[in-house]
Amino acid sequence: MPSRRGVLGAAALLAFALTACAPGSGGDSDAVNLKVWGWRQEDVAAYKKIFQSYEKAHPGVTVEYVPYKNTEYDTILKTGLTDANGPDVAQLRSYGLLQPLVGSGSLVPLDDQVDTLSGFPKPILDGAKGEKDGHVYGVPFAIQTLHVIYNKKVFADNGIAAPTTWADMIAGFDKLSKAGVTPLANTVTDKWMLPIEQEIFGATTYGGPDYLTKMLNGSAKFTDAPWVKSLETWKSTQKYWPSQASGVSYSDAQALFTSGRAAAFPGGVWELAGFKKANPQLDMGIFNVPPAPGAAVDKTLVPGYVDGSFGVSAKSRHRDAALDLVRWMATEQFGTALSNELQQISPVPGVEPQDELLAQALKGYQANPSPYVTYAYFSGGTPTAWDLASEAFSDYVLGRSNAADAAAHIQRGVDQWFRPKN
Amino acid sequence: MVPAQELTGRPARRSRRRAGRVSAGWITSFCLPAFALYGLFLVVPLVTAFYYGLFRWDGTQRGEFVGIGNYREILTRYPLSDEIPAALGHNVLFFVGTMAIQNTIGLGLAVLLHRNPWGKRLFQTLFSLPYLISPLIVGYIWSLLLSPTFGPINFALRAVGLDAWARPWLGEPDLALPVLIVVNAWQWIGGPMLIFGAALAGIPQELEEAAAMDGASPTRTFWSIRFPLLIPAVGVITVLTFIGCFNIFDLVYALGGSDGGPGGAMDVLGLLYYRTAFRGGSNAIGESSALAMLIFVLIFGVSLALERTLRRREVH
Repeated sequence: MPSRRGVLGAAALLAFALTACAPGSGGDSDAVNLKVWGWRQEDVAAYKKIFQSYEKAHPGVTVEYVPYKNTEYDTILKTGLTDANGPDVAQLRSYGLLQPLVGSGSLVPLDDQVDTLSGFPKPILDGAKGEKDGHVYGVPFAIQTLHVIYNKKVFADNGIAAPTTWADMIAGFDKLSKAGVTPLANTVTDKWMLPIEQEIFGATTYGGPDYLTKMLNGSAKFTDAPWVKSLETWKSTQKYWPSQASGVSYSDAQALFTSGRAAAFPGGVWELAGFKKANPQLDMGIFNVPPAPGAAVDKTLVPGYVDGSFGVSAKSRHRDAALDLVRWMATEQFGTALSNELQQISPVPGVEPQDELLAQALKGYQANPSPYVTYAYFSGGTPTAWDLASEAFSDYVLGRSNAADAAAHIQRGVDQWFRPKN
Repeated sequence: MVPAQELTGRPARRSRRRAGRVSAGWITSFCLPAFALYGLFLVVPLVTAFYYGLFRWDGTQRGEFVGIGNYREILTRYPLSDEIPAALGHNVLFFVGTMAIQNTIGLGLAVLLHRNPWGKRLFQTLFSLPYLISPLIVGYIWSLLLSPTFGPINFALRAVGLDAWARPWLGEPDLALPVLIVVNAWQWIGGPMLIFGAALAGIPQELEEAAAMDGASPTRTFWSIRFPLLIPAVGVITVLTFIGCFNIFDLVYALGGSDGGPGGAMDVLGLLYYRTAFRGGSNAIGESSALAMLIFVLIFGVSLALERTLRRREVH
């Protein structure tokens, strides 16, 4: 009967389509193929090279770096970690963004598994810790530091050098403004850059790590004078931002700097590679903002944070091999390879970057480290201080609120979940 | 129509019986894929979202049953408690602005092209062309055009001495939403123009001729004859515009990022959902599912109400 045949045909087609979509099973039992998931599509070739040296030393083990789109990675990873077909080792975000994965029990605690972790500085390990249980869930792989990146040629043409005092810096910016050069390529449109700009210019005003300690034990708040004043310090540089900065996007700001129309760009070291690619002739330097008038500290602070770590999936079929791999990731051999191949600052103790600017950034950070407070330490609950700060700073620099209002917005949001540790 | 028996040479009765018997099975088999797709991509996610929204989540791990806890959480937690009404307000303004600008101009264009058929096809094609471009691309192109630093629009304004008009279009909280409405209208104006055009072409000539013979002016003819007969088209366009305006995400994302532009001036429910789901911390699944249900109920309910109200006003 044609009708029944039709229905059966359709059902068969559907069944076929469903089986065709089902994931394959298996893999052979002798050889171990470790899948390392990550969000850096641009780094595939470099990771292949890095892992080749590991494969040579560990016959029978192959390591494959599987990248996903940066913006979709967190969602894909959340699902991937619930399945043995997911990653064995995964690149993990740090601080607050790591907590959902810790909470769901998707990761293996590494404290007792990777002995060399105890040699890492505490602020570095903070980025890979579960906030509730205090265990370390990943081997940190990169440090990001925040600076003012400047165009050496434009600075030299205008007779200025990297400043050592706040007054020097302001005098230099004035000189550039008079010469028709935009001193600072700040974006206002892309709000996530605003907390970065605030740390770069305001860290010395509130005092960096000492103030953070007080905030964490509950004896200081965002709404207290030092932190509110740090917003004012940052905003006092507004006249050196691009004209109509409120409409300048992140990519506009980058283009202003790489085209030489702006003399400096406040941002992270991760910008350097992109800037070099956009304009290979660009001769760049970095400096950190000297203590502002009335600053809480008298030294130049270098804000920085842990970008991410490598952790082991609790569902991995090859847990021992995966643990061996992350143990290797805590060694100088891996740190040096990563630093050289990816132009990143490795957090492994004793690894020096070959790149001159990265070496300068690391040296500065090791000497006078300062936290990225809103992103790193107040992002373990919802709403995160980082989101709150992005919103509040946008209103603040647009002149729709004052520094105290901006700080109050952050404090009110954070107070709903943050409990000080004594 | 050619009777069936003339084609097949078989008696009509037998053929009809066979047609009846065949069609039940065939109808089922033809409907099945559509139902499967509808169920898989519409009903299942909807029911899943409702179900997920009733639990607390820890990453992807389902925790305890909280009932309306997630709903209470998103409606009371600062700053979400302020952001939801603000975003809803922006959606409403966006809808009103789009009705006023896109659909009014669309109607005007349709009337113009109806009266002057010269170049009708060409203009219909030109106005509908932006339909072919993804809203994300439209958004990125416009944000480049409107950039205060490198954008050609401000460059042109300055070149003709209109320096004061060269604003940071997407950077000023008061300008951002109007700019969004205009850019959105630029892309979709072909829609109302085509629907109104078809509706205008469907109005019987005799009615307009009779009105003209009675001495009615063109304006009077428009308001007394054409417009009442356009009401069904207005209804369709209103509902489609409403759904489009309340579901907007891609264009706003491209113009103002996931935070909704300067001071959140372009923040809409779609962006708020995106932030809750993808930057929302441990309980993101629970809270974003609850928010999605609220948005669904709002859009579905208002669309139904709009449709009913406008149906009643139709002229038969």
